[in-house]
Amino acid sequence: MASADKPINTDVPEKDVFTLHFLQSLSNLRRQNTFNSPEKTNDRVKKIKKAAYVSMARAAGGTNRLWSRALLRRAAKENSKVVRFPRRKKRVTCLRRRRSNRRDPVEEEEAERLRNLVPGGGGMETSKLMEETAHYIKCLSMQVKVMQCLVDGLAPK
Amino acid sequence: MDVGRVSNVAKLDMPKTITRQRKKESLLQNNNNSFFLKSSGSSTSASDGGVVFMDLSGRFGARSGDGVPFREATALESLHLGGGGEEFRQMVPPENAGGFTALLELPPTQAVELLHSSSSSASQATTLHSLGTLSFPSNPLLMERASRFSVIATENQQNGNVSGETTTTSSVPSNEHIKTEPAETETCDQAAVEKQSNRCGKRKELDKKVKSSTKKKSKSSEENEKLPYVHVRARRGQATDSHSLAERARREKINARMKLLQELVPGCDKIHPKRDIFWWKDQSVLWGPSSCKLSMEREEGIQGTALVLDEIINHVQSLQRQVEMLSMRLASVNPRIDFNLDTILASENGSLMDGSFSGATMQLAWPLQVMETEQSYHHRQLQQPPSQQWPFDGLNQPVWGREENQDHGNDHNNLMVGSASLHPNQVKMEL
Repeated sequence: MASADKPINTDVPEKDVFTLHFLQSLSNLRRQNTFNSPEKTNDRVKKIKKAAYVSMARAAGGTNRLWSRALLRRAAKENSKVVRFPRRKKRVTCLRRRRSNRRDPVEEEEAERLRNLVPGGGGMETSKLMEETAHYIKCLSMQVKVMQCLVDGLAPK
Repeated sequence: MDVGRVSNVAKLDMPKTITRQRKKESLLQNNNNSFFLKSSGSSTSASDGGVVFMDLSGRFGARSGDGVPFREATALESLHLGGGGEEFRQMVPPENAGGFTALLELPPTQAVELLHSSSSSASQATTLHSLGTLSFPSNPLLMERASRFSVIATENQQNGNVSGETTTTSSVPSNEHIKTEPAETETCDQAAVEKQSNRCGKRKELDKKVKSSTKKKSKSSEENEKLPYVHVRARRGQATDSHSLAERARREKINARMKLLQELVPGCDKIHPKRDIFWWKDQSVLWGPSSCKLSMEREEGIQGTALVLDEIINHVQSLQRQVEMLSMRLASVNPRIDFNLDTILASENGSLMDGSFSGATMQLAWPLQVMETEQSYHHRQLQQPPSQQWPFDGLNQPVWGREENQDHGNDHNNLMVGSASLHPNQVKMEL
């Protein structure tokens, strides 16, 4: 049994960090010549969305958080890049094995839905999942604020 | 004859023991299971039938005589040398390969001994506990006792059954043992819990049926004081075996995080005012599925949790949808805007980090003013008059005023989307 709970740390960096990362990713996107053709709006949307998520993951603590790690890995896979992460202390497989013992049927369904929503939720225990969800929610809301301000700034009408 | 003996056993209200007994014999296939048959020589009285089982364990205890090292020999020997005792000596062959031996010589037996070294009956019980693979039907009282001695319980579910069975089937004197043992177990609880938790940690325990019977006994609250593990206070009416303790600790962890989430997600605060969401669920675990519908509050506890989780899920989904929508809007705006923000942002890191977000927005906005026109890209002539001055001008001027004034002339070809109105003074920044 783990020792008594240390205070759960769900600190999220300031909005400026998010802004920085997002704008950087946007400018990188801009560099691509094919990016800004008037057609293919959907592609652009997808790319921007992906850039938003990736920059959020990077801003929010890089590989220190499970969900950000999973996000980055997923993104890198799509780009077929090789991703190297610093070695984690715990292996996900261990958690998977223990997971089977720790399910409570009542909260199970909800936890399952959460797992589908939060990136990287598949390999987490329920308590860890909750932590990650809290952090994820904070980061998401931050990112939404940043993007909202950006859009507002660009389209003040 | 063997069947006869087993049927005698049946008279002692141990119907299941017959089948178990047969299983037991199958275990000893490679060994001298003939002892069961040989024991037919003894009387077939009910008492002897009871003694049979006692002797079964007794013989296990007396294995020292058989050359197999075993600790609790003497106590049992003194008790049960009945008429059929001789035959029973053969019952424990030294070469119990897969059956008893491995179990009997496990260190937990020592611990169990320590716990119950006070009385012979206790030691008998412990011996029986430790004796292993005899599987008997579960008696709730004794199951509960078995659950207390989770050390042994982990070995086998049947261990507890053994003790239960023997105490129930033994003759009258052992009936007293039943009464005394609960008292002993109560007193030994503290030590038992300690030992349990020390050894078990996260060992897989008896299933939850045990807890239902355990609950009846464990009215007193226990506390793990001297453990390096989680300090969980068992509440009144809750089981104290380490399995449920682990469960409870885990639930409290989850509960704490749920509180966190509740604060994050708007609208969750009123759903479940109860402080401890999972306490009711804990109770339900103890009472068993049949009593799940006992209290409305308990149900509300679970449903409250479900509601909160629903809210959280909705919130996450809404946030993700917002991101998607904003990215769409950005995408529509974006092609008309060219960023060359790397250098700018690099230089502006310091100023961006400081200040409130409103300040950051301002500072964010004006880098957008600062644009580099790429001639190859912006061939469009969007010669719209600067329809809208940015409100940030006032803020930006003092900082960037100098540079802006310099590059007015370069910005004729700047983009101006219909929807997006940018500051006319696009500055080509080269830092």
